[in-house]
Parts: sequence; C-alpha cells; structure tokens
Amino acid sequence: MNVLWLQTGACSGDTMSILCADSPSLEEIVDFYGVHFLWQPSLSMEPVSHLLSTIEAICAGEMTLDVLAIEGSIITAPNNTGMFDTLRGEAKMNIVQRLAEHAKFVVAMGTCAAFGGVHASGSNPADCIGLQYDKQNPGGLLPHDWRSSSGFPVVNLAGCPCHPNVMTKVLAQLARGTAIELDEINRPKDFFSTLVHQGCTRNEYHEYDVEDTVPGDRGCMYFNLGCKGPNTEAVCNQELWNGRNSKTRAGVPCFGCTSPDFPTSKPMFTTEKLGNIPMELPSGVERAKYMAYKSLAKRAAPVRVSTRQMKP
Amino acid sequence: MSERKTVDIDLNRVEGDLEFQLDIEEGVIVDARCKGIMYRGFEQLMLGRDAEDCVVLTSRVCGICGTAHMYTSVLALEQIWHAEVPALATYVRNLCLAAENAQSDLRHSFLMFTPDFCNESYADQSFFEQANALFAPFKGSIYRQVLQYSRRLLEIVAIFGGQWPHSTYMVPGGVVSEPDHRKVIDSESILFPIRSWFEKTILGGSIDEWLSVKDSASFASWVADHPDSVVSQFTQMSRQVGLDKIGAGAELMLSFGAYCDSENWLNAGDRSVQSHWVKSGVYDLAAKEHLEFDQSLIEEHVRYSWFKDYGDGLHPSKGQTVPDYDKDSDRYTWAKAPRYNNRVAQTGPLAEQVIGGNALLQSLLDDFGDSVWLRQLARIIRVASTLQQMFSMLDGIAARIGQPHILHLPPEQKVDGSGFGLIQAARGALGHWITIDKGKIESFQIITPTAWNASPKDSSGDPGHWEKSVLGLPVDDPDNPLQIGHIVRSHDACLVCTVHMVDKRLKTKRVQTFGL
Repeated sequence: MNVLWLQTGACSGDTMSILCADSPSLEEIVDFYGVHFLWQPSLSMEPVSHLLSTIEAICAGEMTLDVLAIEGSIITAPNNTGMFDTLRGEAKMNIVQRLAEHAKFVVAMGTCAAFGGVHASGSNPADCIGLQYDKQNPGGLLPHDWRSSSGFPVVNLAGCPCHPNVMTKVLAQLARGTAIELDEINRPKDFFSTLVHQGCTRNEYHEYDVEDTVPGDRGCMYFNLGCKGPNTEAVCNQELWNGRNSKTRAGVPCFGCTSPDFPTSKPMFTTEKLGNIPMELPSGVERAKYMAYKSLAKRAAPVRVSTRQMKP
Repeated sequence: MSERKTVDIDLNRVEGDLEFQLDIEEGVIVDARCKGIMYRGFEQLMLGRDAEDCVVLTSRVCGICGTAHMYTSVLALEQIWHAEVPALATYVRNLCLAAENAQSDLRHSFLMFTPDFCNESYADQSFFEQANALFAPFKGSIYRQVLQYSRRLLEIVAIFGGQWPHSTYMVPGGVVSEPDHRKVIDSESILFPIRSWFEKTILGGSIDEWLSVKDSASFASWVADHPDSVVSQFTQMSRQVGLDKIGAGAELMLSFGAYCDSENWLNAGDRSVQSHWVKSGVYDLAAKEHLEFDQSLIEEHVRYSWFKDYGDGLHPSKGQTVPDYDKDSDRYTWAKAPRYNNRVAQTGPLAEQVIGGNALLQSLLDDFGDSVWLRQLARIIRVASTLQQMFSMLDGIAARIGQPHILHLPPEQKVDGSGFGLIQAARGALGHWITIDKGKIESFQIITPTAWNASPKDSSGDPGHWEKSVLGLPVDDPDNPLQIGHIVRSHDACLVCTVHMVDKRLKTKRVQTFGL
C-alpha cells in the first residue's frame, strides 16, 4: 500500500507520535502490513527531488496513490495564495489539492490537518483551515461533499498529536482492506466512540464529587481545572500513551484536542460554570438530574476519597 | 566576466521546510540564502490568552522538543511571578527533558543523519555495504534498534508527565504528577537495557570507561581498540568522505546552560541569572576564549526576513513579529536573524559540551577544528552522559519522595511583568521572552536553536552560520545535494519551530559579474 505523507503547517508532532506507536509499531506496519512510504519527510532517504518526481508521476496517473496522509494545518495566507507554506515555490495547499484527486484515501493525521487545529486558533495569523473542515464548520480546503476515488471523505484522525496507535492501526486497516466506519465528523468510530473520561484513574473522585481546585493534586479536574475528559472522544485512557499513562492520570486536564474547536479561546486551566456546575456537562447528561446526583454523591463520599488518600 | 548561477535546493530529514538558495561561480558556492519557507505565526496566536495557556501551546510549537518549549515557558512565568519551585519538581522536569534529549539525539543521529552514508553516491566507498547493514531506513540493525529504544526512553516522560509528545505536566510552581518509588523503578527498568545496548553497540565499552577518554590521543586509541563500535565506524566513514574537513561556520558558540539547578535556580538573588547543572556560556573559537553569557546582548534582525523591518536589531523582550511577505524583494525567509553581541553564533550539542567543560570535545576541537563529523560525534556521545545523568536524577527523585512536587501560587502573586526562560533543548540554546499585561499574554518571542544556526543575513549583511558554513564548498549534484545535507543535518535542523531545506533549482539566472 503506497502512502505519501506530506507536512503542511505542522510541528512534526504526529510524525514524532507515530514513531512512538507500539501496537502495531511503525516498523511492524512496514514489515507485516506492507505499508510502503513513497515519502515521509522525516524518514525518507531519498532527496526532495524524489518527492517532486513522485508527485508528478501520481498526478500524471503513472503511479498509484493508496493513501495521502497530511500532517499539519492547511495554510492559506496571504490572500488565499497559500504562499506562507511552499514547496519549490508552489503553495502546499495546491499540491495537496492536486494529489487528493488521485488518492484512494486521504487521511488527516492530527487535528491540524482535520480541522485547522492550534494554528487556526486566536487571530489565526496564517489563515489556517483543515482538509475538509474549518474548525467545526463543514468545508475546508476540500468541499464538504468531496470524496476520494474510493468514495470516502477525508478520514479524520484527530488529536494533538493523534494517538500513535490510532495512526498505525488505521493504516494497517486500510492496508488489509477492512471497511472503516466514520462518525458524523469523519473520525473512525473504532477510536472515537470512547470518552477520555472512560478509564481515567481519577474516576472515583469524579464519582463522589471530590474536585481539585489547584493543579498537582489527586482529585478530579472536571469541575474547576478545565478538564474536558467527560466530553472528549478519544482512546487516551483505554489505550495508554507510550504504553504507560495518560494526561488525566498524570494530573494534566484533558484539553479536548480531538475536538474540531480545539483549542478554543477560553482559558485552558479553568472550567466555565453555571453556579457550581460546569457549563458543559458530560455528553448527553441533563442538568437538573446531574445536580441532584452530584449533591448526593458528595454526601456518599468515603473518607479515603474525600481526604484524597487514593492515588490516581 | 564569469557566470553566476543560482540554484535552489531543498532538504528532507530535517524537521520542517527548508530551502537553500545558492549562488555558484566556477563550481563553488559564493553566496547562500537559507530560506525558512513555512510560516504559522505561532507567537501571534498566543497573544491575549491567559498567561498559563502558553505552557500548553508552546509545547505545540515543536513536536520534537515540546518538553523543552514547555520548560522554557514555565521558567519565564516563574521569573515574572517570583515563584518558588521545589527541588523535587526540578528533578522531574530535568529527567523528562533528559529523556526527550536522549531520544532526539538518537533519532536524529541514526534515523536522519547516518542514512546519508547509504546514499547511492557512496556506492563505490568501501563502507557502503556495512553502512547499509547498519543504517538503511527500516532495515539497518542500528536503525531498528534506535526505533525501539528511542520509543522506550519516552515512556519515562509518560510515566511522570502522562504522554509524549505534547503533554503539559509542568506548571508554574512545579509539576502536576506526584512522584513515587514505583515510577522511579519503572524508569530505571527502562533505562538499564538502554544503557547496556548503548555501551555494547554504540560505544563498544562501558560509559565509565568512555568518560575517561579525555583527549584526541585517547580517542584515537578508543577507535582503534573498538573498531566494531558505532562511534568508531561512524568516525571512519566520516573521515573517509571528508566530513571532518567541512562545515565550520560561525566562530562563536553559544549555550544557555542545560538542566536547571534544583537548589540554586530560584534562590539565586539575581533573577536575571538562571543557573544550570551544565553551565551556560559563550566560546570564541578564533580567540579560543570562554566568555560569560549575558542574555541582554541578544538581538534579532529582520532585514532579510519577511517581517516588517524595524531598522537594526531588537532585544527579544522588545521583539516584533509582523508578517510582511514580498516575494519580489531581496528578503528571503520566515526566520529572523538572532545575533549575540552583534556576532553570528552557532549552538548545539558541541557548543553545549565544550562550554560545559567536556575535555574530550575541547581537545578534538583544538586539534581538528569545527566540522560536520565533530558536531555529529558530539551529539552521539552526549547520550552517554545524558544516560548517566538520568540515573542520578532518578536517585535525586528517590531521595526526595514525600517532599512537595508543586508549590501553589496565590492569585495575587500572578502579577503583570516581563520575564524570560533560557534552557538547552536537544538542538541547543532555546529562549522565550514573555510580557504579561492584565493577566494576558501581551508579547511572546521565541528564539529556537535552529534560529541561530539557520539564521539569514543580519542588517549589516553578515550571513548566518549555515550560510557561512557552505561558502567555498564545491557543489555536488544539486538534485542530490549530499554535502550540504551533511552540513545542515549535522545541526539536527528543526525548522518547524524556526520556520524545512533542500534539493534544487527553480530558476537559473545569469548575472554578469566583473572580475577585478
């Protein structure tokens, strides 16, 4: 399976992340699933002239492109020319668009390529967008109804960075020809039907409403410290990072990096509240019932939890 | 009248986008313009956000050295807020930075630098078969071992910080995760086999024996006595193709100091000085003189960058980053030109260790001069001392279990003001200069290690370090620019956070020049 990996407005974080994959590892998808990188900017041995001839061969229909993997925001500035990010004087956004027309699958590696990401936040100085979304709005570099030659929209492997094993597993799935089912924002359901909250080792604190007010403690970070775990779909606490841990287990709030609006303009270490309750409730929960549950839960808290004796 | 040709080359296996534009006369490079060709505006998109948010965002400047960026931002905020940091927290921060640095040194050396020995241009070299056996992407024995062990090293960051890359476990006042003995033993159990592999395969002997090699003569004996070690084979291959003769550039070396001093950093009465376990400094190669480092002597120039020109240089605390793209001017890059005391400087593992007092590298530098080989050797062997340091950092953590890992700052302590953080990232000197106004980020300037190395010309027209280091070099095949690739990759180039390089062309223009 031919994969051409291009970086647009990127920090290389998704490349660095995939090097950390362990189930399967990067070398395993090469050895056992037949993934062949036509180009990977950090790993290809050939000089850039090889990339250019490969792009031209694909666009001339002389070479098959199974997967176009894009890492990074699509930079459209200045004035929608894309000249803030070029290869040999051609805007990368144009190169991506040309290649997409010849790819069986286009895969966004990370939130930047999927939705715009960090570079599209704030004043968005480089006018960044995603491949098929502009933040949560449908339509990015490619229109919302665009489909690759296999009939698929851009497959959004969200995350900042994307979880390493999500990238290797999806490439392995595509290589073995398995069907991929996507959610309403085109993320593969197998990896985005789990909340970060599921599997968080601070869950018992959440259960009994023992909420931290300062960073570095043992309690739950949802009520005060900005944690978006109960609203964020990702496998972070189900398939651990680097085989070891997750941000929330370590005491870092979930910043919701697999969501299209990441990062929002709101302060990142503070939870917005209505009264004493977070503005944004866990996915699908009714406010009145949640308030009743929380006031009961607090009263039911055992001392070992309310005094934070339990290590997350 | 001679013909001057301009070729553009671009480079992969650097992190980011880089093109090098070269003017060639009679087959040698007479002028070079190092072009950063991707602009994200990272500094602007932090403006107006809550001060602490920058710690989350700056790790996203760079996927490879996010720990270093996070650390640097935290230091700047702690300077502004006069925050106390418990020693245990500094140990954890240093351990995670060391793990990131060792992973970066290994991945860069063996996934990005040494594959060049397998380039078809070297097919006639006696080492070609052996180079492929060791270094070929996805196939070479060392390549595969490095994939495996670099991944394992980062587990240590995950153990203490949640994940790598892009976690945010450092906050002003400490770290968020409570260290315990389980984490210490887990980390040691990762490190022991990596140390054994590094000793047996890369060095050919124990780290203790290796660290007693302190001059060029002992190094020559080590290479002769351990011919199968990667250090020896790398040296042999490098010398065979002349990498010990090319790539000298700027005469000034710069280090901001590696790993904050857990005991003295915040207690040093003078908050303008940040003290580190491996000391900061400046080394003048020409005068062979070590000088004290003074951050107030740093200035950035934008005369040749696509930013609004503000005349001469500006200290980063007063820095301006306003994009002004014009492809038809003589400006050519998204990188700024930092200068130290008005001089061009280079930074990286060689500078860090020479300034830090590494006797072997000083001796090799004195005897053989600055080169691609020496710079890359410095990166490979730094892993030996980093691994040793990581074991002692773990001892330091074990001895402090139960002490606080974070000291909370009362809201009134989070005042407005300006500050900076300075540290050695894997690629060299990294600085952040931050101003906070009404609790929000008012200005944010970053100078990355590659900004020093890949800098364009300054307002007086003086070329940057890479630009200097290729002058006079004969141009090999512009479609396969191997030597320039060696030079740039010996700096572990990272343009994502600076602004990516080479292969060639675009245009060939004829300029008439008249010989005197």
